[in-house]
Amino acid sequence: MKLVEAIETLEQSLPPQSPLLHVQLACGFTPLHLSTFLSAHLRLEFPDRKIVIRTGVFGNLAGNLERLENADADAVAVSVEWQDLDPRLGIRRLGGWAPKQLPDIVRNARAQADRVSESLERIAQSKMIALALPTLPLPPLAFTPGWQAGSLESDLRGIVAELSSRLARVAGIRIVSAQRLDRISPPPARFDIQSELRTGFPYSLNHADALAGLLARMIRNPSPKKGLITDLDDTLWMGILGEVGVENIAWDLDHHAQKHGLYQQMLASLAAAGVLIAVASKNDPALVEEAFHKATPILDQHRIFPLEIHWGAKSESVARILRAWNIGADSVVFVDDSALDLAEVKAAHPEIECRLFPRDNDKAAYELLEDLRDLFGKQALSQEDEIRLESLRAAHAANEADVSPRSSPERFLKEAGGKLQLSFAKNPADPRPLELINKTNQFNLNGKRHTEASWKRYLSEPQVFVLVASYEDKFGPLGKIAVLAGRRDGGMLRLDHWVLSCRAFSRRIEHGCLLRLFEKFDAQEAACDFVATPRNGPLQEFFTELLGAAPGPGCSIRRKQLLKCPPVYFEIQEVADE
Amino acid sequence: MNDAQRRLSRCFSAVFPGLSREQISAVSVETTEAWDSVASVTLISLIQEEFGIDLETDAIDHLVSFGAILDYLNGLPERS
Repeated sequence: MKLVEAIETLEQSLPPQSPLLHVQLACGFTPLHLSTFLSAHLRLEFPDRKIVIRTGVFGNLAGNLERLENADADAVAVSVEWQDLDPRLGIRRLGGWAPKQLPDIVRNARAQADRVSESLERIAQSKMIALALPTLPLPPLAFTPGWQAGSLESDLRGIVAELSSRLARVAGIRIVSAQRLDRISPPPARFDIQSELRTGFPYSLNHADALAGLLARMIRNPSPKKGLITDLDDTLWMGILGEVGVENIAWDLDHHAQKHGLYQQMLASLAAAGVLIAVASKNDPALVEEAFHKATPILDQHRIFPLEIHWGAKSESVARILRAWNIGADSVVFVDDSALDLAEVKAAHPEIECRLFPRDNDKAAYELLEDLRDLFGKQALSQEDEIRLESLRAAHAANEADVSPRSSPERFLKEAGGKLQLSFAKNPADPRPLELINKTNQFNLNGKRHTEASWKRYLSEPQVFVLVASYEDKFGPLGKIAVLAGRRDGGMLRLDHWVLSCRAFSRRIEHGCLLRLFEKFDAQEAACDFVATPRNGPLQEFFTELLGAAPGPGCSIRRKQLLKCPPVYFEIQEVADE
Repeated sequence: MNDAQRRLSRCFSAVFPGLSREQISAVSVETTEAWDSVASVTLISLIQEEFGIDLETDAIDHLVSFGAILDYLNGLPERS
């Protein structure tokens, strides 16, 4: 983005009542164009929000950070440069570069890094932070030649590496990847010495644009995709199984098929991180079964669910997989080496992300791996990530059991041995409730989302309550699958959020949560902030059944209406805290 | 309006969005209150980016009106 485009982006009008997004930009230099580019990129990332950027004072990053600890903001963007660790590492101060001063520069930089770290850790308790660590070159202050990394450079880079390592583990802090920044903003073109000397703004426009773009993306924190559907022949492995046979498919260096091995390794890694992996292949099912058992790919068959192996259209396979996963096409990536199959799937499922597996191009195959990591990357792994696949298999098995001729829904639920654990603890450090609120579409009271900062603010309100439900039965644990949040006003409850993961449908968990909520607060009525959305049909059906009429804005659930709830057969247990 | 004038006008419009095209062609530091130090720095950056040039510090001090900047740009040697 050029600077003129950034300014023009910001001049585009928004409806007057557009919600605000307050972002604090903390840096030690004049924020100038970084602030403009950050505003513009945030505007693109949050097209319906009015962006408000606040900045601090020149030349005092540590002080700016300390002032931020009690400031009101949705997010904080921080750019630390070398001169913030010691002014002698910049070019606007003439404190001396004599060799005898260098140890003091290192000592001072270490102390400043500690001060910055402590501030950031405190800020992260209430606000999300997007952080960039020094991006500019060190000035030529060491006595060693520029092509040699002397002790000064090594010590300073060590300080920043330690700082990065420490802060990367703090929930709420996201650090700009130096590797990604190097790619989009080549280091030699970053420093604008004329601008730094004239105005105190050290970045070239291209660098300011690149850095602002990454900071804005980390503030938005796009939702990762949930599932990947892959082809087999010439994609998961090299070779057409039906032509070359099980013994001749390959994914290793010896057969010049390493890119397929790397792809399998990536898929196994994604699966272990909770991404759903399925196969859609035009193939002979018996041969595929044999291939997985005899050739033992890196991606183990038990990591794949489901396998759609037949000679029918890929789009039909994808439709069945989406039903089995119970997620939308917009959460899924489809990878195939056939442009024709990709086009056929895209035509039937326009929201799916399609990627060509470049079987004849190693460089493009490597870029595909990087692309997949971006599409599926997440901030941290949760317990739910570990159990998602088993939970889906269990749900599938449960559904199969449910529809068998010898079973009835009542008998199935009675025999499931369910346990519903409810927690009323308001824990801002637990990312799962916010994740559920921001990702759930089908059983969602109103589709309203929160940023990390607004969720933390919401939880801090004394009258706000939160119910987080976890469930397990004989088919396995589902983890935390429901959140109800609202305000208590005597015998009246006001429900602001109610979400239930689609994996947990058909178990009457929603009924169990509601019953216990009324009981817990001895409530007579719950006013619901209901909004019909294009995708919350399952919630609307539930309300219609309970209220005897389709829900509308401001609808309420009265205590006596709970009598219409069908029996719940699971054990309900309230846990005091986590 | 020639190409340089059109591109320069876009830079000025970005910095002074309230000014009409006619007002922009007559704008100067002395007649425009909004032309402060931040506007000046932004304008210089926009011009450097738009025209792919590095303005020398000495030259910047003399670029105090739309007309003066346009004359400066028109006087630059053709870039191949």
